[in-house]
Amino acid sequence: MKVLGTACVVSLAALAIGMPAVAADKATVKFWTLKNPGMAEFAAEAIEAFKEKRPDIEVVYEDFPNEAYKTAIQVALNGSEPPDAFYNWVGEDSARLVREGLVMDVSEYGTEPDGFQSILSDGWLSTLQYDGKQYGVPLEAVSKFFYYNTNFFAEHELKVPDSFDGLLQSCRDIRAIDEDIVPMPLGNSERWKLNHFITMLNERVVGHEAANPDYALEADDATLFTNPRYVEALQKVLDLQEAGCFQDAPNATSPELTRTMFATEASPMIYCGSWCAGIFNGEGFEDFKMFRMPEVKGGDGADGTNFLIVQGYQISAKSKYPEETVAWLSHLVSPEMAVRYAETMGRVPSNPASLDSSDQLTESFKWIAKDVSEITVPINVLDVKLENTVSEAYLDGGVELLNGTLTPEQVMEKVRETALKAKAKLDK
Amino acid sequence: MSQTSRPRSRSGNLAAEKLTYAAMLTPALLLLAVFVFIPVALVIYGSLFDFGLTSRDWTFVGLGNYVEAFGDDVFWIALRNNLIIVIGSIVLQVGFGTLLAAVLDRGVRLGRTLMRTIIFAPMVISSVAVGLIWLIILDPNVGPLNAVVKGVGLTPPKLGWLGDPSISIWVVLGIAAWQYTGFMMVLILAGLQAVPKDIYQAAALDGATGLRAFWYITLPSIRNILIVAILITTVGGFKVFDLIFVTTGGGPANSTQVLGTYIYLQAFNIGEMGFANAISVVLLLIAVGLGWLQLKTSRKA
Amino acid sequence: MEQRRFKATSLVLYGFTGLWSLMVLIPIAYMIMAAFKTKRSMFIDPIGWPDALNWESFERAWGVGVGGFMINSVLVTFLSVVVIVIFSGMAAYALTRMPGRSGQIIYLLIVAGFAIPVQAVLVPVFQIMSGAGFLNSRLALVLPYAAYGIPFTVILFYAFFLDFPRELEEAARLDGCTRFQTFLRVILPLSGPAIASAAIFQSVFIWNEFILALLILTKPAFKTLPVGILELQGEFTSDWPAVMAGLTLATLPLLLIFVLAQKYFVRSLAGLGK
Repeated sequence: MKVLGTACVVSLAALAIGMPAVAADKATVKFWTLKNPGMAEFAAEAIEAFKEKRPDIEVVYEDFPNEAYKTAIQVALNGSEPPDAFYNWVGEDSARLVREGLVMDVSEYGTEPDGFQSILSDGWLSTLQYDGKQYGVPLEAVSKFFYYNTNFFAEHELKVPDSFDGLLQSCRDIRAIDEDIVPMPLGNSERWKLNHFITMLNERVVGHEAANPDYALEADDATLFTNPRYVEALQKVLDLQEAGCFQDAPNATSPELTRTMFATEASPMIYCGSWCAGIFNGEGFEDFKMFRMPEVKGGDGADGTNFLIVQGYQISAKSKYPEETVAWLSHLVSPEMAVRYAETMGRVPSNPASLDSSDQLTESFKWIAKDVSEITVPINVLDVKLENTVSEAYLDGGVELLNGTLTPEQVMEKVRETALKAKAKLDK
Repeated sequence: MSQTSRPRSRSGNLAAEKLTYAAMLTPALLLLAVFVFIPVALVIYGSLFDFGLTSRDWTFVGLGNYVEAFGDDVFWIALRNNLIIVIGSIVLQVGFGTLLAAVLDRGVRLGRTLMRTIIFAPMVISSVAVGLIWLIILDPNVGPLNAVVKGVGLTPPKLGWLGDPSISIWVVLGIAAWQYTGFMMVLILAGLQAVPKDIYQAAALDGATGLRAFWYITLPSIRNILIVAILITTVGGFKVFDLIFVTTGGGPANSTQVLGTYIYLQAFNIGEMGFANAISVVLLLIAVGLGWLQLKTSRKA
Repeated sequence: MEQRRFKATSLVLYGFTGLWSLMVLIPIAYMIMAAFKTKRSMFIDPIGWPDALNWESFERAWGVGVGGFMINSVLVTFLSVVVIVIFSGMAAYALTRMPGRSGQIIYLLIVAGFAIPVQAVLVPVFQIMSGAGFLNSRLALVLPYAAYGIPFTVILFYAFFLDFPRELEEAARLDGCTRFQTFLRVILPLSGPAIASAAIFQSVFIWNEFILALLILTKPAFKTLPVGILELQGEFTSDWPAVMAGLTLATLPLLLIFVLAQKYFVRSLAGLGK
């Protein structure tokens, strides 16, 4: 009995301790972001520097792994204590939150000389503008390339492919050197990896001008996703598979593992995001170069386009400290922090002004930054751009395509079917 | 107690007693109301609308979400997978749990405690950790299982243990059995140890030994605990979430989707809250059915 | 002849349990072994022994805060189990002693709460916690965990209290104890086995709970073990030795406690089957 009695007292005391602490007189900015490698360290440095600028603001940093983030952010925005600033992918995800009134219009903030609206170019600002109003602060651009091991290519006198057929030939050549080498491993266990391939294959084969009405669900019911070139684009995935590019079980392989395969030089190529360069360097591997998804002969794609996702921070409509939050985000995109972001994370910041002054940037980073600036038309990735159910159909379609359980035609039928349903719902 | 005051104090006692019962029930019912009954009511209400997690406008659709669910292939795949896991787990976890318990109870002596400890051990590892361990073991590229399978001259599945839609659900079932069979075993073992040993001696005199003794004496005497074990397993099978979330995320292409993960996918990834609520209600109905079954069996017992 | 048959049988029985034990043991042993490997050797030679006892992975994993996750898990589990046992005990006792049908109806209601999966009601539960300003507090986990643990525990206690010998209670009542006092002084002290088995069940369930913990506790300082170890994977990407080291750190202490306490463990579950 005594034991239980004591337990009661203990539990009540502990419950009291567990209660949230009451905020002091400082303004607290709750800052949520994705758990990218190195982000916690970068944020700690940025917060330290920010304290000197604005001692009246306390920034609370919280991060989440990729898969958990989407859930956590949606649930939290619906609750009573959402984060003040949160990371988001610019596309359908950011637009939906704007439509649903969960994101604050910050057009009035950050206009002072060191505010983000003065710092960032109009092109960058426009990525998060809806109806002429500013709904967030763009942080960085993410692109995607084929990375190749320069030592391996030199040693075996392989040619860097300049066409899609050349890419297929590279895979065959590498397999001819050693059957056990996986030319470019594909880690599709989370489904987005192949989706990125398909995004760019669609661009090279279908072309964005033809595809955009389908993506936006604005095409007629009769033509929605009926363009036969979509099937051709998916066929290219099978071509890659047949040329021996991928390993056996892509759907059971994690993207992280494939990066390790490339960084440990077990595989000589990989299709990976611009963020991968920093990760490879972090693993001690620097002998690589990159090229864009090559052109497909006879495809309808435009010149100079490439994969480009903008990522940034939005401000919760319920934030009690919009001025303070924007001050913090402006600090993140300030020349000093932007260059640190590039140096520590190897990612392309939205504020490129001070990059030239740094001597710590790697060659690969410089190449990426330049290449990104030369993109003629940014191609947003399907799983960010498409309506959720259609995106889901494309994601699962990719998995089934690789497993051989659906043909390209069947995948597109499913996509079309889902798109028709989604469109009917939107029209209502 | 004096004779004269007795009747009065009795009725006073009765009232006081009622109050005591009410007071004793209140904390539990209050918690249940806030975290179970009210949320359930909200879910049922929400299942009649079309809305997203973050949307401002709810559109009333009546039973539309249910119609959509019943016409949805993945819903039926998920339900089928739940049934596979429930039935498979009863066979594997309760079945092997019983066998292991019976052997450890009467079959073997040496190393009994050691084996019991080992077999139960996975239970104290959280499902998330179990999922991560197996994810690495089953990895198609560098996992030790493939290395072993290749080592003995066999071919591992080309699409990966968790990547091949025709086997992945069975692999997940196996992982669940790896984790939970020990729990069932210990539960049943505890029941077996409560069976008086002289019954076996008496039965041995009648010629019932070994398998016959197991069938005619052991099983009937642990009937109640087997019911508890089957019930826990069934409920666990319908509730399963963490293990699948960590290992396959419901994939490849929904082939390991269960109701729990499908609700999560619809609610949080796709943003169809109303649809997710409708599936939740189906799961709730199954739950209530199981609760009713529990009540019936426990009454009989 | 008899002798040989006996030997054969016992060989089969040993083979069966031994094999199962081995099947359980190998993955756990592999987890510990892999934690000592280097990233490279894990990749090139997955089943080979580590070259040396390499503690670096453990240092990296510990740096993520596995120790803190564990303390949080222990705290939350302990508090929830205490609340569950007390609340369920009181409720079950009242239900078994209440005159008339009302007890049965309420019991039915509570039983209906059993088997309701948390993910089916995730969003409303979250909104209630959020509306009450309870996010990021341990209370926010303890209360729903308690609520979801109560139905099953009430079922356990209900059966136990029904069979409880009434004579003892009558004696206490004659001594002038009220119902509640009888419950505290007579019933509870004699309910050790039921309390222990309820506590074991709930500890196992709560220790593993993942989804509510993920959504409600976002502050790193409050995270519980299941959420924390899932983040190991994000933190270390493909640094598998570090993931395995983190899992080992998260798992071994409990395994040890279980090994030491397992005798009592089985004994306390024995009360269930009656």
